[in-house]
Amino acid sequence: MIELLVVFPLVAAAILSLLLKRSPKAAGYIALLAALATLAIALSIFISPGAPQSFQWFTAGNLLFSISTTAAPINILLLMLVSVITPLIFLYSIGFMRVPSEQARFYFEMCVFAAAMVLFSISANFITMFIAWEMLGITSYMLIGFWYRKEHAPTAARKAITTILIGDILMLMGILLIGAAYGTFEFSAVLSAPGSPALDLALILILLAAFTKSAQFPFHEWLSDAMEGPTPVSAFLHSSTMVKAGVFLIAVLLPLYEAAHLLPVILVIGLVSALIGVSNALTDRHIKKILAYSTIEDLGLMFVALGLGSLPAAIALFFVQTFYKALLFMGAGAIMRANDEKEDIYKIYGATLSRPLIAAMAIGALSIAGIFPLSGFFGKAMLEGAAMQNILVYTIIFAVELGTGLYMFRWMFTVSRKSYEQTSTLKLNYGSIPKSMMVPIYVLAAAVLVASIAYLYLPTYLQSSSGGASISDGLIGMFASIIGIALAYRIYLQGHRVHLESTSPGMFAVVHNSTLVNSVYLKITRTFSYAAGLAMYIDFAFDKMTYGFAQALISSGNIIRKVENGQTNMYVLGFVVGMVVLVLAFIL
Amino acid sequence: MIPYLGIMLASLLLGIIGVLLVNERHSRVVGSVFSGITMLLAFAVLVSGIQSGSLNFSENYIYYISQFNVSLNLQLTPISLALVLMASVVAFVTVFAGNPEHEREKTASALILLFEFAAIGLFASGNLLLFFIFWDIGVLALFFMIYLLGSANRRRAAIKFLIYELLASLLLLFAIMLVYFYTPMHSFDINYIIANSVTMSSSTQTLIFAFLFVAFLINMPVFPLHLWLPDAHTEASTQGSMLLSGVLTKFGGYGMLLAFALIPAAANFSLFVALLGGFSAFYAAFVLMTQHDIKRVIAYTTIVEMSIILVGIATLNPFGTAGATFAMLAHGFAISMLFLVAGSIGHIFADRDFRAVKGVIASSAATGYTFLIGVFATTGVPLTAAFIGDVLIFLGAIRAFSAMGVIPLLSLGIVGAYLYYVMNKSVFSTREVSKTIEYIGSSQKLGYAILLFFIFLFGLLPFLILNFFNL
Repeated sequence: MIELLVVFPLVAAAILSLLLKRSPKAAGYIALLAALATLAIALSIFISPGAPQSFQWFTAGNLLFSISTTAAPINILLLMLVSVITPLIFLYSIGFMRVPSEQARFYFEMCVFAAAMVLFSISANFITMFIAWEMLGITSYMLIGFWYRKEHAPTAARKAITTILIGDILMLMGILLIGAAYGTFEFSAVLSAPGSPALDLALILILLAAFTKSAQFPFHEWLSDAMEGPTPVSAFLHSSTMVKAGVFLIAVLLPLYEAAHLLPVILVIGLVSALIGVSNALTDRHIKKILAYSTIEDLGLMFVALGLGSLPAAIALFFVQTFYKALLFMGAGAIMRANDEKEDIYKIYGATLSRPLIAAMAIGALSIAGIFPLSGFFGKAMLEGAAMQNILVYTIIFAVELGTGLYMFRWMFTVSRKSYEQTSTLKLNYGSIPKSMMVPIYVLAAAVLVASIAYLYLPTYLQSSSGGASISDGLIGMFASIIGIALAYRIYLQGHRVHLESTSPGMFAVVHNSTLVNSVYLKITRTFSYAAGLAMYIDFAFDKMTYGFAQALISSGNIIRKVENGQTNMYVLGFVVGMVVLVLAFIL
Repeated sequence: MIPYLGIMLASLLLGIIGVLLVNERHSRVVGSVFSGITMLLAFAVLVSGIQSGSLNFSENYIYYISQFNVSLNLQLTPISLALVLMASVVAFVTVFAGNPEHEREKTASALILLFEFAAIGLFASGNLLLFFIFWDIGVLALFFMIYLLGSANRRRAAIKFLIYELLASLLLLFAIMLVYFYTPMHSFDINYIIANSVTMSSSTQTLIFAFLFVAFLINMPVFPLHLWLPDAHTEASTQGSMLLSGVLTKFGGYGMLLAFALIPAAANFSLFVALLGGFSAFYAAFVLMTQHDIKRVIAYTTIVEMSIILVGIATLNPFGTAGATFAMLAHGFAISMLFLVAGSIGHIFADRDFRAVKGVIASSAATGYTFLIGVFATTGVPLTAAFIGDVLIFLGAIRAFSAMGVIPLLSLGIVGAYLYYVMNKSVFSTREVSKTIEYIGSSQKLGYAILLFFIFLFGLLPFLILNFFNL
């Protein structure tokens, strides 16, 4: 049963790659069908999980390379999230993708991506996980650079793949260290294995890989650039797939990190990333990049939860974030569609013109801000409950919450301004957003509401001893968010906007630190280039040396050649000198 | 018992005669047919090996020099089986698809078949004298490929190649002669030497190993003796490059495996060899970052890969050996595909500088995507054959050299990052599209398809080869 999960999207991908150059319209529906089939299977697995399975791939000595799957609760949770989100994304894409010639390619890549994510969610050993992990990286590269005719898309895709490639190599190193040390790649076997220096090193490498995938400091900058991809890709990438892979992997391996005393590292990186996410989301103007930074913040908070050793809190955040982030991205896509694909929020108007859209998006925004009784509140409540012991962490989370309310409603309020010149066109545009784009948004808005009920079952489902958080834990955080929202209302709706960029550029550079981070990246690549230049110089010198050696042989030949120049008197002279030398040698 | 190896070599010799007899237009077809037959025979060997579960292909033909007890004896080890398979596929694709310009096809086809003859003979040879003879045939065939069929500066590059390679074969000959004189029964037979080389004094062994090591280092090529490779690639025709990186460098790799097997005292140097390999991988990766000609970029990835393979060889454990073999197999397919792509790009745009070539994906989508998959296959993405090779090499390296052994893997990160940069600048940059000068034919696309098939075949079903190894 479980193997069919991956089969359906891959079959769809194969059909798309082979048959569908001619009929682009069918492409989306074939992909949607495959996604729905996957959902059906995922549901049946959800109802009756079944035993873990393993297919032998090959063996190398005592090392077994196998494709193992498991149906542990945490895996099924991710599987369900992926398989619920996938059809919604595909449905949205049917309305979103308007270029007929690119349909087959788009859905092909999306299907492979979905297959990789499904495989990742049920993987039970490092080999299976790594295959899925690399497939995710590669397909995300293809998808981010999908519009390769756009100016920045290829660069953004390269930035993503370069960061991810670093992670992939580190991950492979970690996996091989574990394989060599323990003779197994199974998660379950490694989780129960005793610690060792090799394992600690491997865990650090895997943690770094997870940071690259989940866009955590200092590897986070690729994620905002990844917004060059089509909006369904952003929604997919940010909600349930790809960037969640890193968090999920660390969550699965959490006991090992606890034993290796690496939790503080995870905690600190999570906090730093969350702050970076918030500060950039506050200052960026790109409608999707703000959401991207918000994803960095969300992921950072998940790592904070993991760093506090609270798996339930991390999973709760993981669970609720899926819906509101997919919802907000899809909404952003719809708004951009109505505004002629403009990306600057200050040039986008009139989100209120479509009441169902703005209502759905308000649900998403309130959820991300953590307002009771939306699902986001419960995720945050559990996090805050876990952070209660540590006042410093708690304060930072408080600040992050405040920032979240502020930037989210800055985003909401700004895009809903009225534009008096364009009202009629805008009205028309908002009215003509395709149904296939709107339906997933409504479904997700409903899911955000339902998720708060589903949340109640989460701890029991995960069979975790530490139950759900009490509502009171979340109230302080919610209070912070409300302050943020109120600030946003005052600043952005009542016209007290601060132009930080012009009034204090220094402050702006600190808050909007993506420029800074990018320049550090550039410095690092420069350093590599200098090293490369040095290496090339050495290479050149070696080449010159070999030529010099050859030249020396030729010139020595030229010198020796003079001995035989055909002049008899020289030969006689040589003979005489030689005789003298010989005679002297004998005498002495 | 069908004497597959003999039939393969005979078919190639017949092929050379056939190519030389027919006219220019038909020479490529004739060459492809005979090379194709050889390839099918190679797979017949694999299939019969899998069926019987072991490889006992040992064929003895005429006594070549009876005084020295040298006969034409061919044998297959798992290592040579993998390399024979790879060489036959790469040579087939080369003769069939590697010449989109259709320039001097008769000469090219004949030389390719001659080189294939040498390669299969070398990988399957059961004694060192044959090994040496096939080595020189191969080197000379490729020398003429470069000298006759290359681009503007081909003569200089060809002579440079020849000087390096002749130095290598000279050292090889020294070593072989030393082995012959210092073994008790005076034999060239590889199996006999492996069994009896312990009797040689350790200083003799060290001397022999030093000769062999330098010879194979030149051929692999590994820093600091790699300098012939980039030049030879830039000047060689597409077909020349495909064989050069795809197959010729494996002579050195195979020889290095053989050298460690022949000389027990070589084990003393394994750490030094591994360090050299590791350094060379990073060094070549950095030099790679300064190259602009797509062919030169790919040429330097060869050095990186072969350096990593050297690390695998130096581990001296079954994992490293099997990994090095598998990596050579994978690298042969991947690199010849990349050179075919580079040649096609050169053919399409009449330029190979990736800063000047824009929008490959718009001019020839097949070429663009094959390039992309070639990059995956170079950086060791799972499901491509390179992944299996890398995994086994570094598992072996961790066992042999502790956790430090895994460090050379990082060099692939540099290579990958730069290759994606190249992709980004040339393949996926379609804001301005370079003028298409020529189109590639369906034979090039079929060539891509064949190589892709094998990259994924061995990536998905590695046990086809690995089952023969005693891991």
